[in-house]
Amino acid sequence: MFKYILRRLLLMIPTLLGMTLLLFAVVRFAPGLTTAGGQFAAGQMKSRQAQRQQEQFIARRLHLVGKNGRPIALPMQYLLWLRSTCEGHFGTSLEYNEPVLKLIAQRLPVTLTYNLISLLLVYIIAIPGGMLAAVKRGGWFDRGFGIFTLALYSLPVILVGSLLLGFLADPQYLKWFPSAGLHATNTQNMTYFQYLGDYLYHITLPVACLTYGGFAYLVKQVRGSMLENMRQDFVRTARAKGLKGSTVLIRHVFRNSLLPLITISAGILPGLLGGSVVVEQIFSIKGMGALAYSATYSRDLPVIQTIALIGGVITLLSYLITDLCYTIADPRVSYD
Amino acid sequence: MTSQPQDVTDLAVPDRLVGPARSWWQIVMGRVLTPLLVRFAAVYILLVALTAVFVPFLANSRPYTIVINAQGGRPAVREFPLFRSLTRLDLILLALFAAAFLYSLVHWRTRRWRDLPRRRRVRWRWLGLLAALAVIASILIAILRHNVLDVRNYRRLVRQGRAGDAIFAPIRWGYAGMEPLRKNLINQRPSRAHWLGTDGDGRDVLSRLLWSCRIAMGVGFVSQLIALSIGLLFGSLTGYFSGLVDLLSMRFVEIVESIPTFFLILTFVAIYGRDIFMIMVIIGVTGWTGYARFIRAEFLRIRRLDYVAAAHAAGLPLWRILFRHMLPNGLTPVLVSASFGFAGAVSIEATLSFLGVGVPPPTPSWGNMLNAAGNPTTVFRWWQALPPGLLLFITVLAFNIIGESLRDALDPKLAVN
Repeated sequence: MFKYILRRLLLMIPTLLGMTLLLFAVVRFAPGLTTAGGQFAAGQMKSRQAQRQQEQFIARRLHLVGKNGRPIALPMQYLLWLRSTCEGHFGTSLEYNEPVLKLIAQRLPVTLTYNLISLLLVYIIAIPGGMLAAVKRGGWFDRGFGIFTLALYSLPVILVGSLLLGFLADPQYLKWFPSAGLHATNTQNMTYFQYLGDYLYHITLPVACLTYGGFAYLVKQVRGSMLENMRQDFVRTARAKGLKGSTVLIRHVFRNSLLPLITISAGILPGLLGGSVVVEQIFSIKGMGALAYSATYSRDLPVIQTIALIGGVITLLSYLITDLCYTIADPRVSYD
Repeated sequence: MTSQPQDVTDLAVPDRLVGPARSWWQIVMGRVLTPLLVRFAAVYILLVALTAVFVPFLANSRPYTIVINAQGGRPAVREFPLFRSLTRLDLILLALFAAAFLYSLVHWRTRRWRDLPRRRRVRWRWLGLLAALAVIASILIAILRHNVLDVRNYRRLVRQGRAGDAIFAPIRWGYAGMEPLRKNLINQRPSRAHWLGTDGDGRDVLSRLLWSCRIAMGVGFVSQLIALSIGLLFGSLTGYFSGLVDLLSMRFVEIVESIPTFFLILTFVAIYGRDIFMIMVIIGVTGWTGYARFIRAEFLRIRRLDYVAAAHAAGLPLWRILFRHMLPNGLTPVLVSASFGFAGAVSIEATLSFLGVGVPPPTPSWGNMLNAAGNPTTVFRWWQALPPGLLLFITVLAFNIIGESLRDALDPKLAVN
């Protein structure tokens, strides 16, 4: 087991190197690299000298020139960037003029919180739903359910988000929910429970947007893996022993169907981060997605680079965790 | 007497059970296309694709033909503004469509021919001929055509009686770039003149809706073509050589898979600006891993089969064994990946355009139409949001239905019932 984890971690190194090389190349060969960023924040034309100063400043920040003003060779630039990245210095945002790490530390918890709530909801709804669909397999219910989940899965978030915002959070139609942000304006004089209630009220629509797609996907997987296990011999044995139907279903079939569910959860996590860009844009939430979006618009290269890197690392880590969970959930799987 | 068979041939299986020999491909496609829903999905996709090619003839502000009345000593002339205003892209698409149509006609006509080698030769000859013609036509069009700047408002000419005898397209409105903005007609609800209303710049929603089929189909098609070519090449080589090559290549596939496509596109847009072709290429270059995995798995199975050994013994060159003998037998599962990939590409494009980092503004896309219908600062206008949103939804759903059905048809575990 230990050997396996070590091997997996070693295999992650070339992957990470490839990813950093790609990100470095993309940014390094960008046209007008040194004039990038800052122009939106400044908002006005600078004098030529100030512009040159800024260009030099950015060049030094991106390791294009050394402290003495001499240009640095390309492989060296990469190594320098890699070293500072490994040390945890992800550079300074060109737009906000703050360390990227600090920005992300501010934004990431916001995004993670509502993402985790939606992930939890997905599992809570999808597992009983999938079990029900597996029990009632065949016939019209099953077919209808299959089409329903496929349709739910195909519903674009941008449509659902727009419609929810337009019909349920617009004074023109129904003003049931707030249209923007995560908190009301007067959070200072709220008790803890009022604050929590206000938060839940605000995240209802965004979480609904993030949840339904994952639910549709997971329900299908639960159903498929339950059905596969129901055909196994041990289920027949359990029935023959005279166990109750529900016991067979939950203790025997479901526990063995856990395996594919673990794989799915690894795929869901990076997807949720990507989806949060859209949701945060629609519902005006200031999280990671909004940061990535505003950085795209203002060409804030260090921020973009770091977010892409973090996205990749999260994907890799979730693959690793999945493989480890496999061995815990199913002793038959061994890697040695 | 009647129960007694008179001839030995009576004992043979009835004709309908024998039929013409069917290939694995035909069996799979037969199984896939049986459910009604899948047929609807296929027809819908065909319609959207046809709309993408023929949209200049469906929604255009210029009439097919019009007679400009005599004025100031100039005689009356009959003009063909719509045909004159076709762009290079329109003509290239039409040429490609004509080639594809003719080829499928040949394919359909020669379907029942029994002698295989000859049939195949005929098909390849036609395919080559038509492809060459289409390429030559496209190059000629690209060199020779210039976009004609035509700013006349033909609808007004007709209304003022300065022109007559006009035949308009079914929808008399083009999209921005072809249309002057009309400030007095902004955000109108559906009416007889504008079947789906107008948007914030006074442009017809239905017309923009049809024009944006082109972007959606284009992104899906080009990106999946790129992904397919990379994936097929990579997957077949990996699967054929197996061993160390396989191990290393699969690590590479894992690297590519762990690249977050959405963030990568955002990075590229931040650096190189909005460009729809760049987005197509990125989706293609990061999306080939599914194809590669499928093809690799098939090739690992096929390479042990006898006919591959026979091809080796016959001394055929490697590329021929790989791509003429092995690939056609391993191609079917790739379709699953293709239909899901197409759906994914369409929805990524719409999402990017919705965020304002996809297609640049005057060009309509389902995503930027949806965004224009109600950003937080304005009131929500449902007639602008629902049509593009639903069209996007149905398109993605149609591809997913086909993909799902293909996967079920190919899944050996489900083949029992």
